[in-house]
Amino acid sequence: MAQTYARGPIGQSTLRVEDDPLLKGLGAFVDDVAPPKNTLHLGFVRSPHAHARICSIDTSAAKRLPGVVDVLTGRDLVDLMKPIQVDPDKPGFKITHRLAVTIDKARFVGDTVAVVVAENPYIADDAVEAVAVEYEALPAVVSLDASLAPGAPKIHDYIADNVIYENEQKTEGFDAVFTAAPHKFVRTFRTSRIAVASMEARGCIAIFERGLGTLTFWTSTQVPHIVRHALSEMLGLSDSKIRVIAPDVGGGFGMKAYLYPEELVAAALAIKYRGSFKWVQDRVDDFLTSNHARDQQYKMSYAVSAEGIIKAIRADILVNIGAYASFPMGSSLEANGGPRNMPGPYDFAQFAFRTRAVATNTCPTGAFRGVSAPSTFFSVEGMMDTIAKELGLDPVELRRRNLVTKFPYTNAMGQRYDTGSNGECLDRALELSGYVAYRRSQPASRLLDGKYRGIGVATVTEQTGQGASRYKERGLYRVPGFDAALIKIEPSGKVSAFVSQAAQGQGHLTTWSQIVAQELGVVPSDVTVIQGDTATVPFGSGTFASRGAILAGGAIIRATKIIRDKVKRIAASVLEASATDIEVADGYAFVAGVPKMRVALSDIASIAYSLDARLIPEGEEHGLEAIAHYDPPTSTVSNATHVAFVAVDPATGAIEVERYVVVHDCGRVINPMIVDGQVHGAISNGLGQVLSEALIYDESGQLTTTTLLDYHLPTALDMPTIQMEHMETPSEITLGGFKGVGEGGVIGAVPALAGAVRDALSPLGIEIIRLPLDPPYVLSMIEAAKAKRTN
Amino acid sequence: MTTETTHVRLTVNGRVYERTVEPRLLLVDFLRHELGLTGTHVGCAHGVCGACTVIMNGETVRTCITFAVQAEGAQIKTVEGLAENGRLNPIQQAFHENHALQCGYCTPGFLMTVTEFLDENPDPSENEIRHALAGNLCRCTGYVNIVRAVRAAAEKMRSGAVQR
Repeated sequence: MAQTYARGPIGQSTLRVEDDPLLKGLGAFVDDVAPPKNTLHLGFVRSPHAHARICSIDTSAAKRLPGVVDVLTGRDLVDLMKPIQVDPDKPGFKITHRLAVTIDKARFVGDTVAVVVAENPYIADDAVEAVAVEYEALPAVVSLDASLAPGAPKIHDYIADNVIYENEQKTEGFDAVFTAAPHKFVRTFRTSRIAVASMEARGCIAIFERGLGTLTFWTSTQVPHIVRHALSEMLGLSDSKIRVIAPDVGGGFGMKAYLYPEELVAAALAIKYRGSFKWVQDRVDDFLTSNHARDQQYKMSYAVSAEGIIKAIRADILVNIGAYASFPMGSSLEANGGPRNMPGPYDFAQFAFRTRAVATNTCPTGAFRGVSAPSTFFSVEGMMDTIAKELGLDPVELRRRNLVTKFPYTNAMGQRYDTGSNGECLDRALELSGYVAYRRSQPASRLLDGKYRGIGVATVTEQTGQGASRYKERGLYRVPGFDAALIKIEPSGKVSAFVSQAAQGQGHLTTWSQIVAQELGVVPSDVTVIQGDTATVPFGSGTFASRGAILAGGAIIRATKIIRDKVKRIAASVLEASATDIEVADGYAFVAGVPKMRVALSDIASIAYSLDARLIPEGEEHGLEAIAHYDPPTSTVSNATHVAFVAVDPATGAIEVERYVVVHDCGRVINPMIVDGQVHGAISNGLGQVLSEALIYDESGQLTTTTLLDYHLPTALDMPTIQMEHMETPSEITLGGFKGVGEGGVIGAVPALAGAVRDALSPLGIEIIRLPLDPPYVLSMIEAAKAKRTN
Repeated sequence: MTTETTHVRLTVNGRVYERTVEPRLLLVDFLRHELGLTGTHVGCAHGVCGACTVIMNGETVRTCITFAVQAEGAQIKTVEGLAENGRLNPIQQAFHENHALQCGYCTPGFLMTVTEFLDENPDPSENEIRHALAGNLCRCTGYVNIVRAVRAAAEKMRSGAVQR
């Protein structure tokens, strides 16, 4: 039975407490924090070659510039820090070592070869230009195909085939079922490498507190505790002497869920020179060196019954991981993200996959909102559209025949879906979008007013809130998986909540206050949430992978339960009642059914902190605080249906998104306004991946898209109006019934938009198997299709 | 590099500032690091994203591609100059009520763009709003709620419900 929840602060569109300072220009992003006087500024000399031996580095001219304090090479820094090493010694993994500043070879355009230290950032830029490095260029590999070709240059001498990570699995009986099915379909899908391009790039300030011998480290990160642990491990300074602070963070989307080499260098220099060092990245450097994502290929083979029922799926997945594995997610994150997400909302028992992470001379890749899932569902839903067309079925009908509609359900990867609403979301989305009527009136030519017009429907799942066991199982040993909350009812009766999650715009200060308020019977405005500072918040994983609501929610529920019980015991003593008869609401503890017999939380706090005439009841500890951790048993699955309507201009190849409908289910909703915002933003990220975003390396490994003029983010003109509804099917396995919401919008938008273009161009016999669908590419497909016809 | 410096005198949010600066100092760095007005952000440093937008002599400018010395004698308004006596102005209030910001990094640039836009076009259509916003990039909101906020601010300002 689904649990029902009491009404209260949870479920309200409470306006954000974050907004006021941000709207007044009083936010505190890393570069807004005033560093100590005499802080020195770092500049990083990046390799202009994709693959090259470093023959010599002449720093003398740079050192002579007024205002330059020092110039350091890899050899100067190698003894200050351990190499970055992530992956476990486990079958399938190959361990890579990355030096923050490379010594022997540069392995991508952007690999660091020297560091300058200067009095201000302008002089640091001058000095970077003045460092003379002599390189011996080596043959570079950029693409998956080139890296896997026989005799390809090796990125790392100790990895012969450039395959950093490999995983292959097959369900029992797969071959017989696959062979026996009457229909087989094979397609290969490819998605372009893309950039996170958070509006704030990366940056950090490392401050050595000379008196205390401690390091205060401000950094634009999603994972302050993971950064602290990594700095301690790699630099040899005890973690108890390191304080990492993630202040306001201007977007992260997974890219900032990593420790970066520049952070290690800044911290190492602060410790060595007992001073303060600052680095703020510019946009070009962000494109060159901040983790990229989704440079992937999926070869999909489907075995299908005569009725269109999926019997078996085989997938061969390749992920371009770039030059190095990144800390803490390593080389397997995207490679395993593909198969992990692939079963999605569909019911089939036989699954075989091979997935490989392939090294190349390009920037490392990693997490970006949805990790692999948007590309995975581009492929999965691409297959569904293709199969429907080949079998002469409506694409929605094919999906309906294969949807998981009975819960709990265990998918072909062994993952359990406790609850869900795949069928309900689909039905409602079709209703809202007028799908049936649209199909009925749609011309076979798809031409309307001179443009090809089409509709795309995607039914998707989002894996959210993974716990420790899931990360261990996947070999991601460096990700703790749990999170924590320390809650205090302060002596005044007001509440402080210290939560191990760290936000980058998700509105945690508001939503956590709603959960705390609900659980302690106070109003959200009485709750202050503190986050992002390892000196005050308990150890935990941080914010990524759609885990905030589940992990922080669970930890808050557990911690507030301990406090509530204590409040009840103290109230029982004051009111001379039994603790089991006490309820807590509206800022009071009262005897159930006798609301006049009550005591204010502020009075209970006074007693607990011994600031009242009354003594705390015998046997009770002083104070009114509790810490709790939450580790969900597995992952929890959200689901959605996205419907997109597009128009393709045959004269230009430009695509316009004319309408967009989404029906979404992320379990129990904490703040509907914020959930809407998460889905809106994620859809825009998906729209970018489908229509315009591509990081392009030329054959020699030069990145040709290093500004926002070359790399096209969606603008207000590109985004449609979005019609959205929510279903609420609470999880039965998470505390509070929450499911995650951060990534689902991208996961649905990519296949829905691609599907709409596929539908629009279907009369031309065009298959949509590659992203992005930028105007030149679309135009070339249309022209090729027309040429084929006239020949 | 060069030790040559130039004298700059300008007015920001009604206050006169005088400083001696290098000619190559960008206006955004001048505002942020010389004057401590860190609300104006750098998103790209090549004039595309609009995060660094301020209003100079009545027109929006991108301070990441403007030198401080070019602002000699100018009247500048930054995001810090929008709220009056600590209270959000109607545009800021509409952004708050419509959840038109998430991480908030691009927000100051949007607010300045919208300030100029609604001044010139107090009753814009949705299409006009989208065109006006197209020079500012946001990675969090998908612009959905920003468009709503601009419409709401325009209505409120037209109805005169709030004194400007």
